[in-house]
Amino acid sequence: MIFARVIGTVVSTQKDPSLNGKKLLLCKEVDHAGNPLRSYHVAVDAVQAGEGSLVLLSYGSAARMTEETRNAPVDAVVMAIIDHVQIDKDVVVAKGGR
Amino acid sequence: MKLGIVTGTVWATRKAKELEGCRLLVVQPVSSRRVATDTPLVAADPGGLAAPGDLVVYVTSTDATAAFPTGFAPVNASIVELVEGIV
Repeated sequence: MIFARVIGTVVSTQKDPSLNGKKLLLCKEVDHAGNPLRSYHVAVDAVQAGEGSLVLLSYGSAARMTEETRNAPVDAVVMAIIDHVQIDKDVVVAKGGR
Repeated sequence: MKLGIVTGTVWATRKAKELEGCRLLVVQPVSSRRVATDTPLVAADPGGLAAPGDLVVYVTSTDATAAFPTGFAPVNASIVELVEGIV
């Protein structure tokens, strides 16, 4: 799993039928302190995440392991919305930060 | 299977149904001498085994999914053992 920030939505009308009704989110990878990294991912939304949310994203075959994405041709899924991350008793990144 | 030290916790109220009741922990990969070897990662703890400070064994990729009783969870890493000592 990687940390990511939702930065937008991907809208598409013509797509694989198994993706109908699924929301696609454009996510920018961040480090565990919330600082943006270079890579972007398009991920299916399994938790109704909104733009700006800090989320956890699973990739690869694990992305198909939600009810939302079962047997669908996806390799990234947003599977948790992060409230905060606590490392060594310090809250390093909190919801709505940055 | 790799060694890591749990350094933190990821708090997430809303998560995929498959992960309900499962804690998500930040794990620092380490060598057998507890020296950091790679960047930290987030791992699920399906067995509720670990807490911050613990030395653990974790698995990645498809095996991470197999660590769940259902074999069906959207995770890339799972903690599977709590290490008591290395001899």
